[in-house]
This record gives sequence, C-alpha cells and structure tokens, in this order.
Amino acid sequence: MEAILFMTFAAVAIGGAIGMVISRQAVTSAVNLIVVMFALAALFAMQDAHLIAALQVLVYAGAIMVLFLFVIMLLNVREKEGRATTRNSTWQIVAILGLTPVITPVMAFFSVADVAHAPEAPADFGTTAGVGKILYTSYLLPFEVASVLLLAALVGAVILTKTKLR
Amino acid sequence: MAITIKKIERGPKLTLWERSFVPEILRGMWITSRHFFHNMKTLTQEFALGGGRSKRSIMTLYYPEERPVTPVAYRGRPVLVRGANGLEKCVACGLCEAACPPHCISIVGAERDNGDRYPTTYTLDGAKCIFCGRCEEVCPKEAIVMSDDWAELCTYDRGEMLYDKERLLRPEASLARRLAFLRNNAFSKARYQ
Amino acid sequence: MDTAAILETGAKLAFVIGINLGFFAPVLAWVERKQSAVMQDRIGANRADIFGFTVIGLFHSLADALKLIFKEDFVPRGADVTMHRLAPMIALIPALMGMAVIPFGGTYEIGGHAVNLVVADLDMGLLFVFAIASVATYGVVIGAWASNNNWSMLGGLRAAAQMFSYEVTMGLTIIGLLMYYQSLSLVEIVAKQESFWNWGIIYQWPAFILFLACAIAENKRVPFDIPEAESEIVAGYFTEYSGMKFIMFWTAEFIEVVTISALCVVLFFGGHHCAFISDAGLVALFGGGDLGNILAMLFGVAVFLVKVCVLIFIQMIIRWTLPRFRYDQVMMLGWKMILPLSLVWILFVGVAILTGLMPTPA
Repeated sequence: MEAILFMTFAAVAIGGAIGMVISRQAVTSAVNLIVVMFALAALFAMQDAHLIAALQVLVYAGAIMVLFLFVIMLLNVREKEGRATTRNSTWQIVAILGLTPVITPVMAFFSVADVAHAPEAPADFGTTAGVGKILYTSYLLPFEVASVLLLAALVGAVILTKTKLR
Repeated sequence: MAITIKKIERGPKLTLWERSFVPEILRGMWITSRHFFHNMKTLTQEFALGGGRSKRSIMTLYYPEERPVTPVAYRGRPVLVRGANGLEKCVACGLCEAACPPHCISIVGAERDNGDRYPTTYTLDGAKCIFCGRCEEVCPKEAIVMSDDWAELCTYDRGEMLYDKERLLRPEASLARRLAFLRNNAFSKARYQ
Repeated sequence: MDTAAILETGAKLAFVIGINLGFFAPVLAWVERKQSAVMQDRIGANRADIFGFTVIGLFHSLADALKLIFKEDFVPRGADVTMHRLAPMIALIPALMGMAVIPFGGTYEIGGHAVNLVVADLDMGLLFVFAIASVATYGVVIGAWASNNNWSMLGGLRAAAQMFSYEVTMGLTIIGLLMYYQSLSLVEIVAKQESFWNWGIIYQWPAFILFLACAIAENKRVPFDIPEAESEIVAGYFTEYSGMKFIMFWTAEFIEVVTISALCVVLFFGGHHCAFISDAGLVALFGGGDLGNILAMLFGVAVFLVKVCVLIFIQMIIRWTLPRFRYDQVMMLGWKMILPLSLVWILFVGVAILTGLMPTPA
C-alpha cells in the first residue's frame, strides 16, 4: 500500500517537473510547479513529517507560487518569449529519464548518511509539538538567522521599490 | 521653492473608540436586525397565522394579485377618445404627430360628407412611444389622453405594438377622471374656454 | 484498514459532503435572497413553484441550478481552454476539503466502538484548514488569467493579493487561541470546551472579532468583496464563466461561508457541546447505553448545525449592513490594523497565561 502511494506521488512529482520544464507557456509551467509542490507535500506526509507537509502547502504552494503567478501575469510573459518549440523536448525527457536510474545509485553509494543505523525517531517526530520544541531550543540560532535573512530581503525589497518623496 | 502649507479642518474629531467604527458597525447591525425581526414577525402574522392584509408592514404589493392605484396625473399609454356619437373626437389636425418627440404617430386624414375631418388611419407605435404626454398637451379637441394603462403592454411580437385606430379608441366615460384632471389642474384654463 | 473503519469514514464523508452541497449551498442561496429582502423591508423571490406549492421561495435555488446547468458553456476567444476549465474546480475543491477536519460531533461509544464524528482527526487540523484555504487563491488567479480579459485579470490579481494578505493575518489572530488551548487539533480544542467557561469566546473574544474579519476578507464577502463587486465590475474575476462553472464558483463561496462559520463554532463557541451539560450527563439524559449514545450524537450534531446557522445569519447581517471597502482600505486594514492588533493580543495572552491571569483549560 505504501509502495503504491509512494509510486503515485513520485510519478506525479516527476510528471509535474517534466511538464514545468517543457511547457511553452509560463503559466502552465507555474501550475506544473504547484503540482510538484503538492506531490512533495504528500511525500513528506508519508514520512510522518506532518508539520512540514502542511507548511509546504501553506507557504510554498499557497503563497510563494501565488506570487510567482502574479509576476508572470503582471509582466504578461507571452509564449514567444519563452521556449519556442517542443521539438527538442523529447530528447530532454529521454535524457532525464534515462540518466536518472544511472545517477541515483551512484549518488546513494557516495552519500554520507548511514541509513541502516539511523537513530530511532522520537515519539513526537514530525508533530507540531516535536518540531516546535527542537526549533526553539536546539536549533534556535538557525531559526533566528533565517528570520534576519527574511527581514533583510523584506527591507531590501521595500528600499528598491520606494519612490523618492519630494 | 517655498510652499505655504495650510491646514484644513476636515470635520469632527473622532475619539479612538469612535474611529475604530466598532460601535457604529454594531449600531448598524442592530438596526438591520431590528428590521429583520420586525418584518419576520409581521410576515408570520400575515401568512402563517392568518392575520391578513392588516398585519402587513412591508409595502411591497403582491403583483399581479394586487395592483397599484395610479395617481390621476399618471401618464400611461395614450388612447383616443370616442365621443358621445360613437365616433372619434380626433379631427386629424396633425398637431400630436408634430409634437411627438420620437415621431411615433402617423395620421392620414380625410373629410366626411358633412365636412367633418377624421383620421382614416391613426397609427401609434407603442414601441417608440416615450409616454411623455405631449400629444395630449397639444391636442385642441381632447381627442388623445394618457390612460392609466401601464401593465401588460409587453408582447412577443413587435408588430403587435403598432396600435391602430381601433385598438386605441376608448369611450369618453371611461376617461372621465383624466379629462376632469386635464380641465381643472393640468394646463391653463384659457385653452378650454 | 478494516471494512468497518472504511464504512464509517465513508458515512461521515457522505454526511459532510451531502449536507454541504445538498443542504447548505442551496439554502444559503435562498437565505441570501430572503434575509436580505426581509432586512430591507421587501419580500424577496417567492414565486417559483412546483405544482402550485411555493415553499417560501426555496424552489428558486432549484430553478437557479437548473437554469445555470442548461446555459451555454463557452470559453472566450484567446483564452487558455485547460485553465478555463480547471479554475472553477480549483475554487470548489479546497472549499469542500476544508470541512474534512472540522468535528461536527464528539466521541460516542456505539456498539463497543468509539465513533469520532470528524472525517479526518489530524493532530494539526487547524493548520490543514489554513493550508487548504491558501490553495483556494489559485481558483481566483487562474480563473482571472484564463478569461483573457484585462479587467478580470486586474480584479483577480487584486483578489489574490487580498486573499493571501488576510491568510497571514488570520494565522496570527488564531495563535492566541492556540496558546490558550495548547493544541492545533480541532478535535482536542472542541473536547476542551466541554464546560461553558472554557468556550473560546469567553477569554478570547478579541481573537473572535479579528478572526471573523479576516475570514470574511479571505472569502471575499462584503465588506471585502472588491473582487466581485457586483455593482461595479459585473462579476470581477469570474465574469467570463457561465453555466456550470459559475455554479462552481458560487457554491465555493457559499461553502466557504459555512466553513468559516463551522470553524468559528468549533474554536469559539464550543462545537457540539450544549452549554451547561457535560458529555456524560447528556448520554445519561438519553438513557445511556447504545441508544443513549446515538441520541446524544444526533443531539450534538443538531446543536452544532444550529450554531453554524446562527453564525451564518450573523455573516449575512454583516453583508447586508456594511458598505464595501475600497481596495487600499482593505489592504490597510489587513496589514496596518489587524496584524498589529493580533500581535499585541498574542503578547497579552502569553503574559496572561504565564502570570496565571488567564487560566488555560485542562
């Protein structure tokens, strides 16, 4: 059962990603990316990372991709300005799908993580309480640094778009 | 460039509580809720409890069961007046045709044996008529008046809206109210002397 | 997954979807017409009849649905056909999904088996609702884009900006409540409101006002209905949709009204709990045992539906009382007024809980 679900969501994610790359219109690319985000959220949920799954949908698919779509629609990116033909796409798909089963085992072989001897996940792994606890205790510094980074981006955006008052 | 700044007083100063508009919103909701519950009560009394017409507080008329009584100055569809002798009072002078702003009236006149003029065809295009009443105003013979017909003028066929003389004629007695109004109130008495 | 569990979930799902699409959507269309009419001193639509029975205008919803089903379904020239067909679905599906985590009853022992009246008992139910609400934005954006109409496009972008700025604010207004109940799970929040003095409205009434304002703005209802301002821009972002697609947008809006009311009931008004009766006391009142549990379950669902109807009534009053906000006023209200107020409230709740001023429910 789990394998079937995993295959389905993985297929959706890959299909969405390929669609995003080969589609001729910018809006279709963005919608395919949204599909990929949802598939990723489903995969996270299958790994018991419930909070991250919800946040993926809430933040990534719900806000960030909306802003992507905003920019595409406001700038009115037309078909001509993007990818023009699908003639080369078949080779691209073949290349991606053909090389993946070759590259992935190589990457897995050289990866650092020791999967067989991974530590046991705590009981509240992935729940809001569990993530909240470690986020505000063990990982407080990265959390604060990320907040400062976002603040810097925010302030930078405001300054870039601010018109000079007389 | 030096700019002089003039401060303009823009209305009354509101306190912080007033500026949040919370009391105003609540007051507005209270007013509409009051209307809602009062109307629900009277509607229930009128229909469910059989109180009837006397309990109604909503002024909507249940058309077509109830029709409004139009005021005497109401300008409905124009009609031709049929005089006492059964013939139309119209003498085909053409003043209404000239006065009509959308030119919806067309008359072809002729003379009878005894010298009286009469319209052989009198066509009023109901689709073009704007119900302004100028034809009634200029008619020297009280031959065309605005009736109180405002409903059921719609048809499925535009040809039916081209009223001819027979469809326009109405007995004088049925238009007595309008004629009395025209004589006494509407225009100067000098015309009717 | 045994068949009993599947049947149970299927029955709950059928109930939720059935009562939403079958009862609330048509009745809300009727309530909108009739309540607005009675509030404005007029009668409203009451002439549609079947064999001479006009049921105070309820058949108008049926007549509307039939008329819209038979209307011509077109795609404007130059528009993206796939997106045009997809947009109403993207608007409707999240509205229905939001009802999956809302508990419409408690836990009852029927036939030795604990029946929990919620379709999906997630431990982060509230976050799920917000995540799904943020997907509803796409219905607007893609719908506006697929119309190939400049004014729909602008209206849709404004709508999307309004929707996700109020999503942010909506999340922040609820944090005070989460600190008070110490759980994200809606089932747990309802379970903690068994006693009347634990209801959310008692200690968290500012959060209720702010949350209701944000939720109404999220749903694009008056006074925040700039995106679909009927008297100004025809229908805004869904101008170019007719027939079945229009029904889907319209139904999505009404179901979101129900979802907002259900959320408010669950978070602030005790869910299915009747005010001063405890769960066990209710079952004992109905005789105990299986029959008592079943009757208590039906009573709980009935209480929940009554509360949802009261909140829908309040939302309709707000709709027909207030004038529409201008777009910059909408944005200013969201970012400059409700957001700082919710942050202040979070601070206050935090201090109050730590100092014991606000006793958290067990």
